[in-house]
Amino acid sequence: MGTYILKRIVGSVLILLLIMVVTFLLMNAIPGSPFLTEKSTPEQIAMAEAKYGLDKPLHIQLLNYIKNYLKGDLGTSLKMQEGTPVKNIIFHQGKFVLSIKLGLFALLLAVCLGIPLGCLAAYYRGSWLDGVLRVVTTIGVAIPTFVLAALLLVVFSVKLKWVPTLSGSLTDTKSYILPVISLSSYYTCYIAKLMRTSMLDAINQDYIRTARAKGVKTSGLILKHALRNSLIPVVTYLGPVTAGIITGSFVVESTFSVPGLGKYFVQCVMSRDYPVIMATTVVLSALVIFAMLVVDIAYKIVDPRITLTTKEE
Amino acid sequence: MKKLVALLLVLCLAFSVVACTKTTTETTQPTETKTEATEAPKAEEPKAETAEEPKAEEAAPFVVNACIASEPETIDPSLISSVDGSTYTNHQFENLMKYQMVEANPADDPNMKLTEVVLGQAKDYTISEDKTVYTFTLRDDIFWSDGQPVTAKDWVFSWQRLVDPATASDYGYFLDNIVLNAAAIQAGEKDKSELGIKAIDDKTLEITLEAPCAYFLEMCAFASLMPLREDVVKDGWTDPANIVVNGPYKITEWVHDSYLAMEKNDKYYDLANLGPDKIVWWLSDSETAILSAYQSGEYQFIESFPTDMINSLRESGDCFINPYVGTYYLYLNCDKIPDWRVRAAMAISVDRENIVENVTQGGQAPATGFVASGILDSTGADFAFGVSELGALYNTLQKMYPDADLSTYAGRCELAQKLYQAAVDDGSWDPNTTVEYNFNTSETHKTIAEACGHDWQTVLGMKINLANQEWATYTNGLGEHNFGVARLGWIADYNDPITYLELMVTGNSYNYGLYSDASFDEKIATAKGMLAGADRDKLLYEAEETLFGEGGFPVCPVYYYTNMYCNKGVTNLGYTTMGYFFFQYAKPAA
Repeated sequence: MGTYILKRIVGSVLILLLIMVVTFLLMNAIPGSPFLTEKSTPEQIAMAEAKYGLDKPLHIQLLNYIKNYLKGDLGTSLKMQEGTPVKNIIFHQGKFVLSIKLGLFALLLAVCLGIPLGCLAAYYRGSWLDGVLRVVTTIGVAIPTFVLAALLLVVFSVKLKWVPTLSGSLTDTKSYILPVISLSSYYTCYIAKLMRTSMLDAINQDYIRTARAKGVKTSGLILKHALRNSLIPVVTYLGPVTAGIITGSFVVESTFSVPGLGKYFVQCVMSRDYPVIMATTVVLSALVIFAMLVVDIAYKIVDPRITLTTKEE
Repeated sequence: MKKLVALLLVLCLAFSVVACTKTTTETTQPTETKTEATEAPKAEEPKAETAEEPKAEEAAPFVVNACIASEPETIDPSLISSVDGSTYTNHQFENLMKYQMVEANPADDPNMKLTEVVLGQAKDYTISEDKTVYTFTLRDDIFWSDGQPVTAKDWVFSWQRLVDPATASDYGYFLDNIVLNAAAIQAGEKDKSELGIKAIDDKTLEITLEAPCAYFLEMCAFASLMPLREDVVKDGWTDPANIVVNGPYKITEWVHDSYLAMEKNDKYYDLANLGPDKIVWWLSDSETAILSAYQSGEYQFIESFPTDMINSLRESGDCFINPYVGTYYLYLNCDKIPDWRVRAAMAISVDRENIVENVTQGGQAPATGFVASGILDSTGADFAFGVSELGALYNTLQKMYPDADLSTYAGRCELAQKLYQAAVDDGSWDPNTTVEYNFNTSETHKTIAEACGHDWQTVLGMKINLANQEWATYTNGLGEHNFGVARLGWIADYNDPITYLELMVTGNSYNYGLYSDASFDEKIATAKGMLAGADRDKLLYEAEETLFGEGGFPVCPVYYYTNMYCNKGVTNLGYTTMGYFFFQYAKPAA
């Protein structure tokens, strides 16, 4: 196990390095400059690029990035508040924490609500409850987040005034409600649909019939036998979702005025703020790689039959 | 069940990552704790208070909650280039001249007053006989927010910083050909110390111009030229903890991407007359969120909202349309469309009334010239209609083709077809050519492009290919002149026709359509060296007529901008037609 973790960590560093190189090449391949504005002259752009070292050959720039990252220096933003370190934008202004908080609560809600709803729909297959859940989850998957967010905002904040219009820095419980619901809605419904299909598949298996014939109670049957196996596709789905739900918070953060990191994933590309593009990509990649590693290790811990390396076989 | 345990374990670990991140931030960066505490208050984030919210026994502080834009890229006066950034600067700093409210409403809003440029930090000035040397004497009662006196050196430092190529300011060009040596310094040919500005003593500032300039005093109120203290300006100086200002308000809190709060500067000379105790500028780019917060009473003043809500907001009575000195126009690339008759045909066959009524819907006026409506000539007349009601766009053509009826769209289409056909018949234009129309991503730009493309296809039979590009790619293409037609909007920097006409001079970096006419260039060069008066007006009117005469039409003006806003609960606001709002003397509405 120790060797495996070490290998994975070394592998992760190499993957991150590869991500940095690819990101660097891609962001330099798209036309435009961070200093291009309606009123900037070519001379001004050239001077600004020289000031930030963007006039140097690409391989020198890339090496500088890597060297600085190894020292923990993520560079300074070329667009936001002249000279602001990227590290400050991502970490010290609380943006990263806000986005992660929002994303994880949405993920938790999606899991806690999606799995039971999927189980219920499968268990009562063909009943009115299944029908209602099928319609609701289909709508939930189909409705775009920005539409749902705007709808919730108008109904619950503007009309009913139950929750604040501006969620701000999520300082109280109420301010979490609408952003979390908006962000988790799609994933809740998708997980419920996935769970229903997977559960239906499981309860039609022979071992379930055997257990039923042996007189195992329905609740025990579902929780002890069917749920275990039907969770596998859901758990697999949660890996990429973790990344998506955190980076995908752009619309929700914007609609509820949450000063999170979501918008920087989009804005930095639009404004060609190279150091921010690089930093947000690397930080997010590191997060995803870490999550994947944790999931794999967790699998091994809870189910020793799973092999992590070919050697173990 | 073990899978579920694994899942919960993962979630727990993820939560602990969040917790660890926060702890690390707070414990390993002790030097930045103050900044973070200032920038991201967790417990006491202000809720948007309404202007008249009553509190028991003591008078409620007057707080204005306004939202005019999202997070500004910068609030450093030397680096700002946006209207919102200038608005924040105008509240924090004061220049030699300042904008002062006059008893005139810009639109139908009784709560809003127009402004004029008057003396600010200067108490008087003298102008030399040849009109090239301005000597300002500063007020005696002006202080920075840390108590130090404001001196003439602060302008010298600030202006030199602006033109210094190392600063790489978007507005570095602003003093070019106006203040002595500014252009040479920008070009790297001279040192910034050679700029035509010097402090005679602490209270006397002398500025030397290259040539007389009709609008120089107005420029002395501009945000990019605000005074700055040399010992203050360093990395992070615009943080609330570090900033030192000389204007009526000072930033006290800044939660990035959320809000920016300002309170009165107690060192400001007119402190007693200031209005709001606090101005909270909310930073948001979601029109839905902005409108929702306004409707729920959390904001009192907003500047952006969904276009499809304009009519219902107008009906509610608190949505107003202000004049805004800006032109939305299309570059017609003179290289790609070399025959001026084709460009002229394109320019006059656009149905502008349709665009302003059905696309923009914000009370915009169809453009009839390149110089925006609202720019005045020396007599105070609107330059856009100074020569004739038709406007410069049609005026020269009307003289050339007196039989055409250019006052109606049908008449314009008829002449457009005639001009286009003549170019085709001469063989100078191939009707099978496909013209590339580039625009940057925006629903409005797209609809305008579709409307123009439709007009050119139906009226002239042209082939148009619409190309949507995101902003950075788009501006890059503009600089490379890689388009047939391309859109842009230009907001005036100061109230003089030069702010527009200069863009079309040969070699100007904004002359993306590559227009070149020696007589036009000469007129602009001569006018720039003249003081305001009838002769200068005549020259400028002639220049715009040249722009839309034979050999011209490098641009197709579409509409003149307006500025819409909603205001509920605040009165005595100031406004300039350059788009800046002033809240420093605001009062709660009765």
